[in-house]
Amino acid sequence: MSTVTAPGRDTGAAPSVRDAPPRTRRARGERLRRTAIYAALSLGLGLVVTPFAWTLLSSFKPEHEIRQSPPTFLPAHPTLAGYREMLASLHLGTTFTNSVLVAAAQVSANLLLCSMAGYALAKLPFPGRRAVFGLVMAQMMVPGIVLVIPQFVVVTRLGLTDTLLGVVLPYLVWPLGVFLMRQFIAEIPDELLQAARIDGAGEFRIFFRIVLPLCRPALATLTLLSFLNAWNNFLWPAIVAQTQDRYTLPVALALFSNEETTHYGLLLAGAVVVITPIVVLFLCLQRFFIEGIASTGIK
Amino acid sequence: MRKSTAGLLAVVLALAGCGRGGGGTSGKAEDVSAGRIKGTVTVWAMGDEGQALGAFAKEFERANPGVEIKVTSMGMDVAHDKLVSAIAGNATPDVSMVGTTWMGELGKSGALDVTPNNLFDKSGFFPGAWDSTVYKGASYGVPWYVETRAFYYRSDLGVKPPTTWDETKQWARQVKAKGASMGVYQNYQVGSWQELLPLVWQAGGDITSGGKWTFDSPQVVTALKQWRSFYEDGTAPNKVDTGAFPNIFFKGQAAAYYSGPWMIHLMKKDGGPGFEKKFDLAPYAKGPAGNNTSLMGGGDLAVFKRTKNRDAAWRFVKWLTDPKVQVRWYQTKNDLPSTPAAWQDPAMASDKQVALFGEALKTAKAPPSTPNWEQVARVVEREMGRLALLKETPEQAAQAMQKGADQLGMGD
Repeated sequence: MSTVTAPGRDTGAAPSVRDAPPRTRRARGERLRRTAIYAALSLGLGLVVTPFAWTLLSSFKPEHEIRQSPPTFLPAHPTLAGYREMLASLHLGTTFTNSVLVAAAQVSANLLLCSMAGYALAKLPFPGRRAVFGLVMAQMMVPGIVLVIPQFVVVTRLGLTDTLLGVVLPYLVWPLGVFLMRQFIAEIPDELLQAARIDGAGEFRIFFRIVLPLCRPALATLTLLSFLNAWNNFLWPAIVAQTQDRYTLPVALALFSNEETTHYGLLLAGAVVVITPIVVLFLCLQRFFIEGIASTGIK
Repeated sequence: MRKSTAGLLAVVLALAGCGRGGGGTSGKAEDVSAGRIKGTVTVWAMGDEGQALGAFAKEFERANPGVEIKVTSMGMDVAHDKLVSAIAGNATPDVSMVGTTWMGELGKSGALDVTPNNLFDKSGFFPGAWDSTVYKGASYGVPWYVETRAFYYRSDLGVKPPTTWDETKQWARQVKAKGASMGVYQNYQVGSWQELLPLVWQAGGDITSGGKWTFDSPQVVTALKQWRSFYEDGTAPNKVDTGAFPNIFFKGQAAAYYSGPWMIHLMKKDGGPGFEKKFDLAPYAKGPAGNNTSLMGGGDLAVFKRTKNRDAAWRFVKWLTDPKVQVRWYQTKNDLPSTPAAWQDPAMASDKQVALFGEALKTAKAPPSTPNWEQVARVVEREMGRLALLKETPEQAAQAMQKGADQLGMGD
């Protein structure tokens, strides 16, 4: 008995002799499988977490310790110099507010507009629907960098340079978001919508009352993705903002990366400040992701 | 980033070509009035300079009541893209700091105002610095601060710094014997072109001549040979991670490198206690042509044609390049003055290490101000990377550079 049981586990009372061997074998296989899975997951987790952990720990190191090679993990002489310098030289309040405003505007516009467009493209028959969808897909293939100058020319003609509106304007509807929502909404059974129509609901009512609540997992994904987009966007806000009062966090952080010298302590402290809201947002939305995976599993 | 810059550039050139009919590069300088100035001047400046300029400019505002200087400071990474899109969108500031290697490109765009003759005199600046502002015979800006390269070495090894190319080779062997396992660190990665140009000049050649690239000239081959010889001897490391420098110098693995004045401060700050006694600076060693010409870099100040306050903009530039103000700027930011007159000041002459750069600036040269220099520089870097790994001969590298540069042309 004890020979087939994995060590370290209390076998307890002996089970009935007849069905004991298969069950323990299965249990052992299961345990091995689990150990392997956990080992692989831990390895993956380690690989993913290490850079973040290093960033966090190193943000408390003095400059020469950060540059040390081979690099060290724990700060030998912990210091808040990076954070202090950042607070002193960045208008952190203004830039943080700008970043939050830009992200909030972009996320809410994307949630509303992408899902509306996605609904129309998935469920409303109209002439040229496929062509419109094709156009959306085509936009996903255009590298954003190519559009920077034309977009900037448009924004200047509208008189929106150096405004936060100019920063968010080109990103209010995101082709990938439209695609994501369209694919998700297409999975909603038509019968559900027909039933609502028979009950006399208009398209807006159907959209807000039936489609949107069913889309929660997709909306959670879109929230996170568009937030990341807005939060990390660097080139465009840097070009549109003409005074430092309009800088977002990444743009302000770039001030510390010089041609010849880089203030690593400060950059790392900044990186921690930039990453934290993303982690918090992800933790808040995590529930919906798991829900999303569960519901796709049932289908 | 590099790719994006090239893409942006292409679009801008296309836009500049069709959109701005009347603009172009006329190259005519207009005078600036000496009368009272007022109004706002917007200034773009990058990196550390941008951070410090706002407070520094207060003095100019006090001297000129009614003038407001609004400084926007920006990261170096984005500055080029920002300038290029601002030109395309006609949303340029009044004044901007411009990296010396971008002058050709921006001069060609037709967005920059020609330097007014009645305010600036070429002879007041280091010739190499002034040359960086010139595109097709006209100057489109004024040198603000300059930098040049010198030989940083570990003085605690007790080997006298070399004064000729051959001595440098021996020096590297000697320090290696004394425990500096890597010898002399030569940059063979991004920015390696900055190592090559001085050597070419010291060999008596140049990389352009009569409006053509001359990478296949014998002098360039001589320069590449000298540079490669350290890798052949095993007295220059070619397997260093990016970012390992300057630690390899602090640790004494590499006993020397070539860099600019900003490293003095960094060495003292990050080298650890007492490190300032362990290193020193020497001028470049003399090449076969008998000179030790170094590389001139730095920042220029340019005024945009669309400025609404031209007189005040140029007068602010004039103030920043006044020798007395430049000495104060040096004391604020450690940026080296672009005017030889400023170097007469005791504050400049008292620091021996800094004075050494002042001497080198007299003969230092700027890289070619062709609009596509940054692209050609990438070709040079690619070949130097291969050369450092001993994957090709100096002759092959020179040919490959010539071929790549010819394909890109002079960018006009």
